[in-house]
Amino acid sequence: MNAVVDVNSADFDLQRSFAMQQSFATIAAEPSLGARLTSPETHGFTRELARLGAGLGLAALYGLALGARTGGMALVQHALGASAGLAAVGVLGIPALFVLLALVNAPVSPSAMLSAGARALASAGFVLAGLAPSAALLAVTIESPNAAAFVTRSGLILAGGIGLLQLTSAVRDMLKELPWAPRWKCNALLLGFSVFAIMLAARVWYNLPILKGAA
Amino acid sequence: MNSRVLQVFDELLRSPRAVAERSRAGGDLRPLFIASLSALVLGAGVFGATLATSRGGIQLFYSGVKLPLSMVATMSLVVPAFHAIAAGLGRPLSFSGTIGLTLAAAGRGALVLVALSPLIWLSFDRGLAYHPGVLLATACYALAGLAALDLVLRAVGFDVRGVAIVGLFSGVLLVTGGQTAWMLRPFLGRPSAASVPFFRHRESSFLDALQQSSLSSVGVYKAARGLSDAQRGAMPSQPSPRLETSDEPR
Repeated sequence: MNAVVDVNSADFDLQRSFAMQQSFATIAAEPSLGARLTSPETHGFTRELARLGAGLGLAALYGLALGARTGGMALVQHALGASAGLAAVGVLGIPALFVLLALVNAPVSPSAMLSAGARALASAGFVLAGLAPSAALLAVTIESPNAAAFVTRSGLILAGGIGLLQLTSAVRDMLKELPWAPRWKCNALLLGFSVFAIMLAARVWYNLPILKGAA
Repeated sequence: MNSRVLQVFDELLRSPRAVAERSRAGGDLRPLFIASLSALVLGAGVFGATLATSRGGIQLFYSGVKLPLSMVATMSLVVPAFHAIAAGLGRPLSFSGTIGLTLAAAGRGALVLVALSPLIWLSFDRGLAYHPGVLLATACYALAGLAALDLVLRAVGFDVRGVAIVGLFSGVLLVTGGQTAWMLRPFLGRPSAASVPFFRHRESSFLDALQQSSLSSVGVYKAARGLSDAQRGAMPSQPSPRLETSDEPR
């Protein structure tokens, strides 16, 4: 490995990129939970539903961390609320996107769409879970309700953004073979879906007490 | 084991790419953990104690203990976030690799702080005032942070995705680390202060202080919190002298 590292020649970048591919391949052989949840591979219906459920469960950890600010019932309220934003996009948004894409004859199948949706929601949930320890510290120690709301909002935007990025990338990959005109229509639909998904998730997440200024 | 730990210690400074590769590849990461944690605790301890030379006395010990504590606590809190952001953006690492990489980056940053400690000490010794001292310390943290993030960037890759991962992680690190340090302040201590507390009482937050400092820098001053309504009523209607908390020890 050191030999690769210490090389100082023109083909260094090539060697380094090969080394990166090798190490990422090693990781792929024994994937971590994060790698499994965010993997672009498609699985069967049950496994995809399990992946989706895992994502929603992980998102609840972020809610629990936020609920620690006031404790008691707020723990449950925030846990349910954090997952509900993602669930709403999964239940209301993704089937609608599939129908609209099918109407313009995009080459998307229900199973591929389920896989893309499960991956996106699992990614968002995993990021929310990763942010939970920091969120717990900040929610408990920050006095100002505005600052606490700002931190909460930032976490939700970060995770939601990563989930949306995963979903749009997966759908765009399915459209690669399309001619220019129908692909343009599909991209416009994707853009519209993205705006809808952001508004829908925001609508649900804004019911979180911490975002309403709960001390 | 000891020789491997010393070798990693050397690599943290000279070969960040080798450290990044080792973290990403996984395997036996114990020497990396030990060397990085030692560098983190020693480096932050030395820098913390050096910061306190502006106040002297027991503050030297307090800051020497609190700065490593603050950095270790921050690292523990942000490792899951880094792991999740990297996976979410398509660069999954093993969890042990993520811990190794984060610790190594923090250890490298702490070693840079050690290198900057003599400059801090000399500046305070030559009479650098409190507020410029805070700015100098902030510049040292920024330099150390850049050295640390350079190592992380080598592990996730120098491309748009890698930069996005490091950028988002930096945001989480800044807010979490800022709040942790805010809770453990003061680190410098004011020379005029009669006594030196180990912790200040819970007050406001890092983000509020950042907002207040930003407003103050453009001439907008917020009145200090905690004044009773009666006190407010007794205050003159003309703009009063600064009553913000920026004068408090950091």
